[in-house]
Amino acid sequence: MKADREWNDGVPIYRQLRDRVVAMMLDGVLAEGDPLPSVRNVAAEYRVNPLTVMKAWESLVDEGLVEMRRGRGMFINAGARALLLKGERQRFLDEEWPRIHETIERLGLDADELLRARRRKKP
Amino acid sequence: MTGVRDETPVIEARGLGKRFGETIALDGIDLRVDAGRIVGLIGPNGAGKTTALNAILGLIPHDGELRVLGQDPWRARDTLMRDVAFIADVAVLPRWIRVSQLLDYVAAVHPRFDRARAETFLERTSIRPRVKVKELSKGMVAQLHLAIVMAIDARLLVLDEPTLGLDIIYRKQLFDALLEDYYERGRTIVLATHNVDEIEHVVTDVIFIDRGRIALQATMDEVESRYREVRVHPSRLTAARELVPIHEREALGQRIMLFENVDADRLATLGEVRRPSVADLFIARVGNGASGGPPR
Repeated sequence: MKADREWNDGVPIYRQLRDRVVAMMLDGVLAEGDPLPSVRNVAAEYRVNPLTVMKAWESLVDEGLVEMRRGRGMFINAGARALLLKGERQRFLDEEWPRIHETIERLGLDADELLRARRRKKP
Repeated sequence: MTGVRDETPVIEARGLGKRFGETIALDGIDLRVDAGRIVGLIGPNGAGKTTALNAILGLIPHDGELRVLGQDPWRARDTLMRDVAFIADVAVLPRWIRVSQLLDYVAAVHPRFDRARAETFLERTSIRPRVKVKELSKGMVAQLHLAIVMAIDARLLVLDEPTLGLDIIYRKQLFDALLEDYYERGRTIVLATHNVDEIEHVVTDVIFIDRGRIALQATMDEVESRYREVRVHPSRLTAARELVPIHEREALGQRIMLFENVDADRLATLGEVRRPSVADLFIARVGNGASGGPPR
């Protein structure tokens, strides 16, 4: 993990560490079956105490994204990416899509026009 | 964590006091440090940090009750020093000694010193075995000191102002060594400092000390759930003050208030809620007191 030690004061640090791992999984930087970076490496790299890193890793275990293999460390579960995508899709549909949809309606755009605009942007 | 949590506290003090003539350096403090914690002992100069550490290390006699790893440090200093390692803020290594001779010496006097480990650490620095301490820069002396302490298999590591006057490369090495080594061996670390920002996320617990008294002792989890800072919306100032903030300051024309034990949802109606920095919390709890001003 790349150490960006800028933290957002509104969110607990363990949560921000969790979010960074999730982003790495969605981006495919961490694949299923890969080990998570070790607690002590992350603690030293990010200069946070090991208990904070442990708490972040435990929240990933609770979400079913990561499993603890005794004596070997933490690993990304098979199916973790699908689980994450499912959650993220639902979040988009519940939270972002209604707002975007409202804007589309207000501007009177139709589906063809939207797709054409998207295709033109692509390289 | 790794099952290192022990029932007996590493440090336990009740009514710990120390006076030097008329001056009261420690005014009967109560302390408890459990195994596996990284504790930041934070206070301005002259607050009593070093006196407390000296008592814990058995370097000075004390009043009141004090147990370190279950023993009285003043009476049992020799046995205790097998389990306790210490880096002072003043370099105490003899100037004439060569690095290799120093390692010989520590290996001879300390039963828990792992010489190979110290040598591995030194290989990552520019310190060569033949060099004398007096030829080393201040930062290199600190590195040498750290190499020795990190190679001692201690249960308690005490650091007094470990980064004072040292450059960023050394600071990075120090925190890397502490955090990697710490996790591996589950030891307890007490770090006295007035440089709060640097250790803010590294510590698991904070102890604020001011004019010989404890102003706050809490885990970082407790700090996070107990204290919240709000950037108060101008129209909500009166409502905010009714909730009795423990501190108020101004930044970029906005009032920032610090609350203790006030419901987060309630605070969210006043403005943007954030976690306070340890430095701001320190100023709120200790104030810009007469004993040297706020830590920076």
